[in-house]
Amino acid sequence: MSGETAPVPAGTPGAPGAVERLHVAGLHAASDAVLSVRDLNVRFNTENGVLHAVRGVDFDLLPGKTLGIVGESGSGKSVTSLAVMGLLPDTAEVNGSVRLLGTELLGLGDKAMCRYRGNDIAMVFQDPLSSLTPVYTVGNQVIEALTVHNPTMSKHAKEARAVELLGLVGIPSPRDRLKAFPHEFSGGMRQRVMIAIAIANNPRVLIADEPTTALDVTIQAQVLEVLHTAQEETGAAVVMITHDLGVVAGMADDIMVMYAGKPVEAGTVDDIYYNPRMPYTMGLLGAVPRVDIAEKSSLVPIEGIPPDLVRAPTGCSFAPRCPLASDACLAGEPALSGVSGSPGHTAACIKSDALDGADVHEIFAAPAVPVSRLDAIPRSGRKAVLELRDVKKHFPLTKGALIKRRIGTVKAVDGLSFDIREGECFSIVGESGCGKTTTLLEIMEFHRDQDGEVIIGGLSNKAAAGARTTAAMRRELQMVFQDPTGALDPRFTVYEVLAEPLETSGMARPAIRKRILELMDLVGLQPDHVNRFPNQFSGGQRQRIGIARALAVNPRLVVLDEPVSALDVSVQAGVINLLDQLRAELGLSYLVVAHDLSVVRHISNRVAVMYLGKIVEIGDVDRVFDFPRHPYTRALLSAIPVPDPHLERSRERIILKGELPSPLDAPTGCNFASRCPVFAALPAAQQEKCLTLEPPLEPEQPAAVPASSSPAAPGAAPDQQFACFYPDGELAADLLVVHEPGPIIHQNNPHQKKKGTP
Amino acid sequence: MTNLFASDPAAVAQEAKIENDDVVIAKSRIILRRFLRNRTAVAGLAIFLALTLLSFIGGFFSGWDKEAIDPLNIGTPPSGEHLLGTSQAGIDLYALTVEGTRISILIGLVVGLVSVLIAAVYGCTMAYFGGKVDKVMLFILEALIMMPALLVVAVATSGGGIGLKKNLPSWLLLIIVLLVFSWMGTARLIRSLSLSLMQRDFVKAARYMGVPPRRIVWRHLVPNIGSLLVLDITRGVTGAILAEVAFSFIGIGIKVPDVSLGVLIGQATSQVSTFPWMFWVPLAVMFLLTGSLAMMNDGLRDAFDPSSGSIGSANGSARTGKTQKTAKKKST
Repeated sequence: MSGETAPVPAGTPGAPGAVERLHVAGLHAASDAVLSVRDLNVRFNTENGVLHAVRGVDFDLLPGKTLGIVGESGSGKSVTSLAVMGLLPDTAEVNGSVRLLGTELLGLGDKAMCRYRGNDIAMVFQDPLSSLTPVYTVGNQVIEALTVHNPTMSKHAKEARAVELLGLVGIPSPRDRLKAFPHEFSGGMRQRVMIAIAIANNPRVLIADEPTTALDVTIQAQVLEVLHTAQEETGAAVVMITHDLGVVAGMADDIMVMYAGKPVEAGTVDDIYYNPRMPYTMGLLGAVPRVDIAEKSSLVPIEGIPPDLVRAPTGCSFAPRCPLASDACLAGEPALSGVSGSPGHTAACIKSDALDGADVHEIFAAPAVPVSRLDAIPRSGRKAVLELRDVKKHFPLTKGALIKRRIGTVKAVDGLSFDIREGECFSIVGESGCGKTTTLLEIMEFHRDQDGEVIIGGLSNKAAAGARTTAAMRRELQMVFQDPTGALDPRFTVYEVLAEPLETSGMARPAIRKRILELMDLVGLQPDHVNRFPNQFSGGQRQRIGIARALAVNPRLVVLDEPVSALDVSVQAGVINLLDQLRAELGLSYLVVAHDLSVVRHISNRVAVMYLGKIVEIGDVDRVFDFPRHPYTRALLSAIPVPDPHLERSRERIILKGELPSPLDAPTGCNFASRCPVFAALPAAQQEKCLTLEPPLEPEQPAAVPASSSPAAPGAAPDQQFACFYPDGELAADLLVVHEPGPIIHQNNPHQKKKGTP
Repeated sequence: MTNLFASDPAAVAQEAKIENDDVVIAKSRIILRRFLRNRTAVAGLAIFLALTLLSFIGGFFSGWDKEAIDPLNIGTPPSGEHLLGTSQAGIDLYALTVEGTRISILIGLVVGLVSVLIAAVYGCTMAYFGGKVDKVMLFILEALIMMPALLVVAVATSGGGIGLKKNLPSWLLLIIVLLVFSWMGTARLIRSLSLSLMQRDFVKAARYMGVPPRRIVWRHLVPNIGSLLVLDITRGVTGAILAEVAFSFIGIGIKVPDVSLGVLIGQATSQVSTFPWMFWVPLAVMFLLTGSLAMMNDGLRDAFDPSSGSIGSANGSARTGKTQKTAKKKST
């Protein structure tokens, strides 16, 4: 490919003129910026015409600083980073100027770019599972990065450096792990290796494209720490691309918010989070549920979908979704301009000065909090719609090709008991691999041979004699899937999608038609959209179709598997509000499985925290989140980044060591002992108890209840049970991380405990 | 319920936009467009259609038919009277070629279509039933793959199949034999594809809604492997034409007096130097036929494959790598 006349646009005669023009105009930043991007434009061809994916991005990156680029999917943030790295396909047209230490990068061929890539400018990709070549050892791949840019380095030196790098990113016994293959590493470990490769040549600029999106929260916290360390070690400037406003709050110095291929607001972290001046930024901040606040207000939904960039927007690109839009907004796209009162803060909104201190809930007209008639009835007075009694799911682990012998058991779900009452939202949280999805599948499968009893609306799986009972149960219980795209048959129209469960339940044709129109109305979709195919809807709309399908047969319990994790923040808020409202209006019960604790906190009434197939803590959501008793719950909660820069910089974080233990060597005593921060600080005598006895799931001993401030049941015993012997134990100091409050100073930080000690 | 709607003005506006502009493009149209963007593939389609047309109406352009012997012109090169010359028996080669092309295309189309149909039913059934049924059917399939097709064809069309031969024309016999041996690969592919489709969320969703399995297979599985089936049909047609030519060439396929391209080529091989037109004319037609199908197949694959380069490029200087690739394929 590279042999062909690579049509990189800067090679065309027009481009040098453009660079010249920028130069003359004095648009180029002072020479102290390591990376300076000016007027970057990227276009792709699509079936609908030429898509203008990035429309004039400017930024300067100063040495040692971190720039966060925030935006929804399709806002052009990843394309910007790929354009900077020169990694876009030949079919894309890129122009503008990208200067690395004063050298123009745009227009360089593949070969010329290779001198910079991985050397002065390096990248960490989103998916650690596919970014390492599976057939080479990890050491090989780290050394490869060194060899390419340091051909003269001796083999011995390269190996030593690789060990040093792996140690730096916190891989235990790095010398032995050099010879390990990527499949022997977990996702978090692989991302660490990716970071090691990226910083191998002490790059000046490190681009991290959603580095933690594919990881669990506890692992995310670890990887963010590693990134922090890596930045301190190399002094690199970091471009952090993410959709998660929490992740960048604690890390970034500056933030650039992108929308529809253009930066719409830029400024320091504090400016953006505490004083946003662009309605889109305000909406984004309002759309994120907070894990640290028991909020009783609805989320801010940003209605609509981002504009189609095939057509050049005539007015402000956000105007069609903006509640404040007026006619003036439609005349010409506003440029980034300074905001009065805060230097260095720019926003692309003609009303930015009027937005000082505006309330986002008022602007976006967040719907009122829906109240269910069932909320008034105490929990004990409501009927149970789902009951699980000691449900177990063990998978045999076998080895050997011809004769399989059983070498162990994976206890995916190990003795789960809980119940869900009418009108209640019950959530299960935990890291991936803790068995939460298996629990859902066990409930959905519903057959007699299961280990344990599942009772759905009074029907027990033990009594499930035939198809009739199962059919009755299917009417009580429906499921909403994680990926709205995968859950809808691409060849079905919405009508067919919604008709399927109704036909199965034997409804007559005219009744089906009526019911479908009702459903469309219920989930907020246009009734005349029934003839469209799923791919003609946005992600949020597709999830609404999925919800409508689940509600078609009037179930009493809806099981939701990560219902919003595949959606963008602003769309997510709309779906969460819809779920809230449906629960109140129809008296539904939900069983939600989610890894996003902020979402869980927002929508649930009760929550169970799972670890290795067991519930370690269960109870009222506010109680569990505000007064977590189990050390794992505490660690999980502390790992979640909060979209509040001050809090994020100063709060104490528990960084768990390691990852979920392999199910093979599951501990005999408390499952969590191997990673437990309390356990690590206990004297040996008490540790013995954790290692030998399994802590039962019990309510708090009355004496230990802290000052009765439970919001759920004042006076009565709080609805909370946990499985730990030492809930009040001290946390091991070396597992705690606090970043210094105030501006991040990139010097040697006394708290960096992830330093490799090879 | 209504306030959901009320808070949705932006979405409504958005919908109106989608409605009016052609943001939404039907998938079939996208595939057609992508196919048309590949000029080689369009050329292939045109050649194939032209050949098919010629094979049906070509006979009317010449006064000779494939049975008529011209005793005055035996083994003569192309002339005014016989456009492409005559065979050693004095039969007009143009008439023979037209007839041969028709038989070849007929065999190709029938075998290509029917074998894919068999494969789809067999593959989906395997995936749907699973377990023991799957194992037994897979065993049968493997056994058929391992059976030497060449020998069976030889036996069926000559010595062993005498009883059959009496009742059936040789081309029909060949079609049946080819069918028996051509569907296995596709069936395996379809089985594995269906198995992976069964794991998809929408199939799971249908199962959890209580939709009976047979309906899931028919409504969810089969339509979703449609694009693969289309590709496999063109591939199967090419394969069948080539197989017919090969079998007829070595003398075990179509038997005279039936003609096919393979028979014509096979008859002429021994005297290429003396009667070159008898060899080259049917060979060229065969190349055109299989070549055009290969070109089409290439374009179809790119049209169905969302990650292919047939999206075109933003800066106009598109179609570099792909056209080169197809050109290379054509030349081989």
